[in-house]
Order: sequence, then C-alpha cells, then structure tokens
Amino acid sequence: MSMRILSFIQKSTQYLLAFGLIALVTALLIALRDALDTTLVALLYLIPLGLITAFWGLGPGITSALATFLTFNYFFIKPYYTFSVHRPTDVVILIIFLIVAIVISQLVGRMQVSLAAATAREREAIRLYELSTALAGLHDDRSIAQILAKQVQEVSQGEAVELNITESQPFVLHLPEANRPNRPPEWVVPIEVARGVLGEIRLWRAAPAITSSEKRLLQTFASQGALALERARLAQAESRARVLEESDNLKSILLSSVSHELRTPLSTIKAAASSLRSNEVGWDSAVRPELIAAIDDEADHLNMLVGNLLDMSRIESGALKPKREWNILPEIIGSVLARMKHLAGEHRIELDVPEDLPLVPVDYVQIEQVFTNLLSNSVKYAPERSLIRVGAFVEDDRMHVVVSNQGPQVLKEHLERIFDKFFRITAADKVTGTGLGLSICKGIIEAHGGRLWAENVPDGLAFNFTLPLVWEGVTSPKLPMDTENE
Amino acid sequence: MSNQPHILVIDDEPQIQRAIRTILTEKGFRVSTASRGEEGLTLAATNEPDLIILDLGLPDMDGVEVCTRLREWTQCPIIILSVRDSERDKVAALDKGADDYLTKPFGIEELLARVRVSLRHSANKQGVQSKLIKAGQLTVDLVWHIVKRGDEEVKLTGTEYKLLAYLAGNHGRVLTHQSILANVWDPADANHTEYLRVYMRQLRKKLEEDPERPQYILTEPGIGYRFIADE
Repeated sequence: MSMRILSFIQKSTQYLLAFGLIALVTALLIALRDALDTTLVALLYLIPLGLITAFWGLGPGITSALATFLTFNYFFIKPYYTFSVHRPTDVVILIIFLIVAIVISQLVGRMQVSLAAATAREREAIRLYELSTALAGLHDDRSIAQILAKQVQEVSQGEAVELNITESQPFVLHLPEANRPNRPPEWVVPIEVARGVLGEIRLWRAAPAITSSEKRLLQTFASQGALALERARLAQAESRARVLEESDNLKSILLSSVSHELRTPLSTIKAAASSLRSNEVGWDSAVRPELIAAIDDEADHLNMLVGNLLDMSRIESGALKPKREWNILPEIIGSVLARMKHLAGEHRIELDVPEDLPLVPVDYVQIEQVFTNLLSNSVKYAPERSLIRVGAFVEDDRMHVVVSNQGPQVLKEHLERIFDKFFRITAADKVTGTGLGLSICKGIIEAHGGRLWAENVPDGLAFNFTLPLVWEGVTSPKLPMDTENE
Repeated sequence: MSNQPHILVIDDEPQIQRAIRTILTEKGFRVSTASRGEEGLTLAATNEPDLIILDLGLPDMDGVEVCTRLREWTQCPIIILSVRDSERDKVAALDKGADDYLTKPFGIEELLARVRVSLRHSANKQGVQSKLIKAGQLTVDLVWHIVKRGDEEVKLTGTEYKLLAYLAGNHGRVLTHQSILANVWDPADANHTEYLRVYMRQLRKKLEEDPERPQYILTEPGIGYRFIADE
C-alpha cells in the first residue's frame, strides 16, 4: 500500500512542478510582453515544454502542452485576458503551437520510454553477465546452486528463494536460510537441460507482483543455471575418466617396474641356490659362503621391495594412518643408523641434532622408514667416502629436519618430480630400488601434517622435512617428578 | 628322547612349517605342527609342548584369540610370527600373554635365539631366577639394587632403577610399552609412552657407550624394548 501512496505523491509533485514552471515562464513573458512578438513568445514557450516532457514524461508533457496553449491564448493573443481570438494569423499560430507542443512532448516522451527500456535491458544483460561469470569454473552443484539462488534473490528482491535440485544428488537450498514462507511459491521456474529437468527455482514475492520482464529474466537465469550444472556434470565425468586412465597407466608402469625389480633379486637367489644344490660347488669351496650371503641379502632386498609396494598402496588408498606417540627424534635416527651400518658402506654420516630437542608426536615406525629411505637414497646417489649430514632444529611450532648429501644436484624442474612414483633421473637399470622410496617418504610426512621437499645445496642435495610439534593441542607433554636415588 | 624340548608350530603355510620343522629337528627339538587355530589348541592341550610358535594370520581364527585362549590354562612360552606392519596385532598378542615375536621373513639365528630365551625364561619361572644379570660391561644386582659399569657404580634415580630392573629381570624378552609403563609406573599410565621415551633416554645415557647406538637396551620399533644380557 505505502508503495502506491508514494508513487501517487511522486506523480502529483511532477504535475505541480510542471504547472509551476509554466507559471514562472508565463510571469517572465508577461513582464516582457511589449518587447516580444507573439510568434517569439510561442517559440519561447516550447523551451519549458520540452524540459517538462524530458524530465517527467509524457503525461505531464501533454497536460503542460494544453495548459501552455490556454495560457498563451489568454495572456498573449489579443484581446488579452480572454480566450477569444480576433486575428486569423493568431489562430494559425495557436494551432501550430498546439501541434508542435504535442508532437514535441510525444517525441521526447517516447524517446524516454525507449531509453528506460534500453536501460532495463542493459541491466538485465549485466545481471546475466554477472551470473555467467560467477557460474563459470564452478564444478560442484552446491556452489552453483548457491550462486544462482543468491542472484535470483538479488534481482527479484523476493521474500525467499528456494533451489530444489532433484538430479543425481538431490538437495534443497533456501535463501534466506531462516524463514521459509508457509505458502506455495508465487513463481516456479524449472531448471531444464536437453535430457531432462535438473530441478527448479521457487520464488516467494507477494508484492509487487512479478512482471513479465522479470519472469523472462528469471527464466534466462534458470537456463544459465541449468547450463552450469550440466557443465559440472560433464567435467566430473571427464575427470573421472582421466583418473581412471592415469591409474591404468600407473598400473602398467608399476607392473613393468615391479617385475623388473623383483626379477633381479630372484635371479640371484635362483642362481645361487641352484648352484649350491648341484654338485658344481664343492662343500669346502670358498664360493659357498659367498653364494649363501647373496641368497640372504637378496631375500632381504626382495622383502624391502614388497614392503615398499605395500606402503605405497596404503598411502594411495589413504589407509596410512600414523599411530602417533611422543617420541625422541634422536632415538629414531639412532636406531636407523644402527640398522644401516652395513648399508652405509664408505659414507660418513654426521649428526647435528641438539640434545634438548622437544618430543615429537610421530609414528615411530613410519618416521624410521622416512629416515631409512632418505639415507639409503643418499647412500645410493652420493659418491663413496662423501659426507651425509642429518640435522634437526625447532622452527616455530615445527621440527625441521635436514638430510643432506654430497651427491649430484638435481635439475630445478626435477626437484618436485623426484617425489613422484617411478620418477628417475638415472635410467632404471643403473640403480636398484622400486622408485617408490621418496614418494613413500612424502606420503608419510604429509600424513603427519608436515611437508617434505628437496633443494640443491652448494655441495650436493638436501632433503628437508617438517613435523608439527603440536598434537591434540599440546606441545611436549609434562613428565611426572622422579624420586632421587633410593 | 623325551628330554628334548617339544615345540608346537601353528602356521597355515606348509613351506614355513617345513622350513621351521627341518631346522628345529636338526637342532634337536621335537616338533609337531598344526595349520589351523582349533587344531593348534587341541594339540597344545593333548601334547603339552614346552613352547608354541604361533602365526597371527590363521585361516580359521585370529592369532590373538588363540593366544588368549592358550593363556587361560597354560604358561607355556608363546612366540608369535607375523608380517611387517602389523605392530598393532603384535602388541595385542604380546599384551595377551605372548612372550616374544618374530617378523616374517626372519632369519633362523633369530628364531633359535628367541626359542632359547623363551625356554630359559619358562625354566626360570619354575626354578630360581638369576638375581645378578650381566651384559657386557654392565652388572645389575637385583637383590642389592646395585648397577655397575665395569667396577664403577652407576647412580640411578628411583624410576630409572625400576625401569632397568624390569627390563633386566626379563632380559632377552621383548617388553611392550604398555607392560613397561604398567609395571614401572602405574597401570593408569599405560598410554604415556613419553615417560618411557624420556626415562629410557636418560637411562641409556648412563649405561650405554653410545646412547644413539645402544647395545644393552634395544628398541623394538612400534612394540617396546628388549634388554640383551650375556648368555
């Protein structure tokens, strides 16, 4: 109701202002009446008339034209102060004036209307543009629905908007969330694509009633939304297909790598065992212990390969869950070094780990695996007798660990890729291993909420990783007091 | 003949059975085998073996379950076999009363060492337990509570001594974090591995030549600790 009163007041003000302007101009012209020719007065009257139509539209324009015609006749056509006309030329002037006044008002008025329509169209176009920009690049139904509902709400200024997606994973989105009107919606637009209906937009707006141009706009919105939803579906299908293809690819790489890697130790074992079994190698031959050692070592190697494969599949399937406990990092490093003694060969390993490091909340076995893999990688690639350094320090709320070696540097573009499965800088037949060691490390560190990266250092390559020191909101737990020597 | 210790092997893989049987027989043990849990339980009840080697991955029942059921009536030592990455099962079995574990694939020396330690422990349980434990330079006197490195006495705090005494008293055996925490601290502290880590480090600093590469107290990753004494 208040809207109507408001618009009535606005309209009346426009008419009053129009009459006011005409009165003002008339007063001015009356003052100058003796100096002005009647024709000139008629022309001068056209100025306010044009302005009125331009500002306030066709209604006030035509009304003013008639009013001006009467005023002109009354004040400026002799005899003054009557509506009668004596001279035939004056009659002609009057008629021409009336025609010109009405035509001008009409023209200006019509121009205004079409300008308003053009502006409205432009606004619609902008809205649509905004909508399609907002929808571009969205790939999940929920965020598309969110944007669509928000835009519909903004454009329509309705009480409530509801988006009901019925296809694949149905859901209902309501804006504003709190109040859902207790009546059927005023307007419903289906969200439709060629292959069927994906859902619908429901709009509640009792007043003012939804206009046909608004309906048209909302319909366009709905079809934009439908396109976006359809695009999302296609993108999902495509990425699923790509993932499948990639995993297929990986599997074949895995199989060829695995069969190669497994066959090497198996060949050694087979060769050694069969020669021991045959009578080729005598009981007291010096070769005997060597062959036996080869079988033992290669069996360990096989065991490690199988372990790596298992770890990798666990990481890939997200089943690698660290069993965290508060641990002492130097203890972990120590046990790895003790076990690697015979593997380290001629390499020197230097520890730079401060005594007072805080406890770290990690899975002992998994972090041991990380150190084992990083160290054996260093041993594998760095030259004999070179130095391998292991350092650790605290940085903010993280533990930072560095394992560096004097091995060959890695091309900048490969620093990231060395953590990829089966990525090798050296040809596969030059080094042994599954090509999984570093990616397992990365998987384990990331499962711990840390980060692992490699960088070139002046004399070689360094692996860095961080581990959070905070676990369940606690850093370094408190210990009970100890009783002194009994 | 009957003086030879009798070992029952419960494992469903014939190759493993064959290998273990061959080697143990060669070493002078009597060996019987079972390939299923139920069969193993029956054999254990009828034969009363001196030691049981039990695989955790059996086709008919959970190895931990077999372990629990055995412990209901026998104190015969149990060594469990399992694959890598099953620390949880190993710890569960050890806490349910298994004496030791071996991870497949294992070396035969390892198996024999575990068998010897377990048999000695079960003998000790029945007879007099040694109260003076020697390990390299180290002497632990469980009666007088004296710890010596060479001829020098090592000063330990109360908790450190309790920890060492528990480990040394069970030398050769793996002790899980939980069992150490429950025995040295309090059953309520069984989850506070951090106590154990910190005290173990202090203890190693006092006892070991190189605390980073311990010789006496070894870490069993993800499981617990083991004290290595002279045979």
